[in-house]
Amino acid sequence: MKVLAKWSMISLLAAVAATSLYAPTASAHGEKSQAAFMRMRTIHWYDLKWSKEVVKVNDTVEITGKFHVFEGWPETVDAPESAFLNIGIPGPVFIRKESYVGGQLVPRSVRLEIGKTYDFKVVLKARRPGDWHVHTMMNVQGGGPIIGPGKWITIEGSMADFKNPLTTLTGATIDLENYNLENTYFWHAFWYAFGLAWIIYWVRRPVFLPRFLMVNAGRADELVSGGDKKVGMAFAAATVLIVIFAMSSANSKYPITIPLQAGTMRGIRANADEKSTVSVKVEDATYRVPGRAMRMKLTIKNNGNAAVRLGEFYTASVRFLDSEVFRDTTGYPEDLLAEDGLSVSDNSAIAPGETRTIEVQASDAAWEVYRLADIIYDPDSRFAGLLFFFDAAGNRTITQIDAPLIPSFM
Amino acid sequence: MSALNSAVRSHAEAVQVSRTIDYIGLFVFFFVVCGSYHIHAMLTMGDWDFWSDWKDRRLWVTVTPIVLVTFPAAVQYFLWERFRQPWGATVCVLSLLFGEWINRYFNFWGWTYFPVNFVFPAILTPGAILLDTVLLLSGSYLFTAIIGAMGWGLIFYPGNWPIMAPLHVPVEYNGMLMSIADIQGYNYVRTGTPEYIRMVEKGTLRTFGKDVAPVSAFFSAFMSILIYFIWHFVGRWFANVRFIKAS
Repeated sequence: MKVLAKWSMISLLAAVAATSLYAPTASAHGEKSQAAFMRMRTIHWYDLKWSKEVVKVNDTVEITGKFHVFEGWPETVDAPESAFLNIGIPGPVFIRKESYVGGQLVPRSVRLEIGKTYDFKVVLKARRPGDWHVHTMMNVQGGGPIIGPGKWITIEGSMADFKNPLTTLTGATIDLENYNLENTYFWHAFWYAFGLAWIIYWVRRPVFLPRFLMVNAGRADELVSGGDKKVGMAFAAATVLIVIFAMSSANSKYPITIPLQAGTMRGIRANADEKSTVSVKVEDATYRVPGRAMRMKLTIKNNGNAAVRLGEFYTASVRFLDSEVFRDTTGYPEDLLAEDGLSVSDNSAIAPGETRTIEVQASDAAWEVYRLADIIYDPDSRFAGLLFFFDAAGNRTITQIDAPLIPSFM
Repeated sequence: MSALNSAVRSHAEAVQVSRTIDYIGLFVFFFVVCGSYHIHAMLTMGDWDFWSDWKDRRLWVTVTPIVLVTFPAAVQYFLWERFRQPWGATVCVLSLLFGEWINRYFNFWGWTYFPVNFVFPAILTPGAILLDTVLLLSGSYLFTAIIGAMGWGLIFYPGNWPIMAPLHVPVEYNGMLMSIADIQGYNYVRTGTPEYIRMVEKGTLRTFGKDVAPVSAFFSAFMSILIYFIWHFVGRWFANVRFIKAS
């Protein structure tokens, strides 16, 4: 028995230690676990800017940029008929003050058009101190969360200082952090006490054994007296009267109320179509597993008026740059930025009207770290991304690519 | 002492043992119901009760009483049939609310910092008192199903309105009309709960204009009658004494 007790105690302590003593803060959002094809072939986020990296409680941060709804949207993901511009943060460490798609406030879900590009902006207000990974994110009904790049933002100060003021159409100014809290606690406490009073009335007398014996003896009727029934009637009547009183009191205090607002928002304005002046044909593409590198053979035709060079290949939020052509100055997350990750067999300027076939290699540990290499296990084994071409004046044209990918294991 | 001898030596000692069994039984009963009813509630009403911006005039009003009349019906049968105790429904909702408040306060607020005014549970006590008192006064499960369960469904929305009304005050928010509850849902980010899964204000009841809640409440009351009737059989099954009789 002592041995059993001893081992039981050891097991209990081990269980407590394993589950309670070490509880680190979750610091990411499973973005690496999301299927690579989802990140490559659904929403392409680019031109992202996080306005600040360190803020104080009550300060705001703006995340701005564009997202392109990819033409080769996979059939295994429902089309974005109902999509919600979300933000990937660990709970309400920020509050979302505003979010816009195409200049329209989007507190509810929207319909997006495949093939279109949209401007977006999210304004967050710092609430809880700490270091938080803040992701752009688009939830698509039937598809799930499509997560974009994430950046660490530090919030300083104290959550006790956080305020969330709001002015209603009836003229009242409230703080959403504690609005209606006392009223909520009061009514819950009141009805809990009322229910307890009802139970206590009955359990102050014997509860189980004597009554069970009486019921079994056929004397159940003796267990409920006329007085008990009167008390029951009083409780029932009081319940109805209190509810009527409380409801009419609430109605007179808040005479103007509206139902919850719902429904998908339509007519979100996409950016004007900018036809790319560079056309690209993917001749073939391979992913070399040991080298963590993707090689593409591209035939590029410059239909524009200025000579261009390939400066960036973007896929699944990872940016491969040729630093001789283009450098990022936006403070894009380092783990998603391969500043010299793009090498091109001949990256001299492609003259207007010229067609050239080149070999492009995008290599970086990000292929492995962000589990993009897993695309070789997809049933349709395709990759997709955006190519950014730049002319000498810094003007940019974007071309989308979408092609089969062959893995190489040697 | 043989097994046939009494475990107590006097009436006073018997009373003391009986009361001890009462207290232990009540304690165990409360927490068993708390755990099981809570799981049932989470699996059936779930988000409708988690967030103020899910507590609408139609689906919350309809779903919550229907799925929650279950345990009260079963426990009422057990306590009334075996002990003539008319507090089965009330103990169910109090134990559920006890668990709910622990969840909302320590989990939703303490761990993830959602304000309590956004994540409070629904009030259920008025409906439970009606169920219990109707059973006490009528002594009939059929009458309790028809009148009590109807009362349970009908009183749910007005019983919660004193808490909900302040959250339905209109606000102009950056050019859009929103209720305060809508803004709570928008401001306090739920990364794993996109707006489109919010099952609110859906369906064709809009044809009733602004008087949607009473229609939903009546439908909920009607369904609560049926569910009460079904679940009182669960109580009947749990309350059988054939094992005690066999021994």
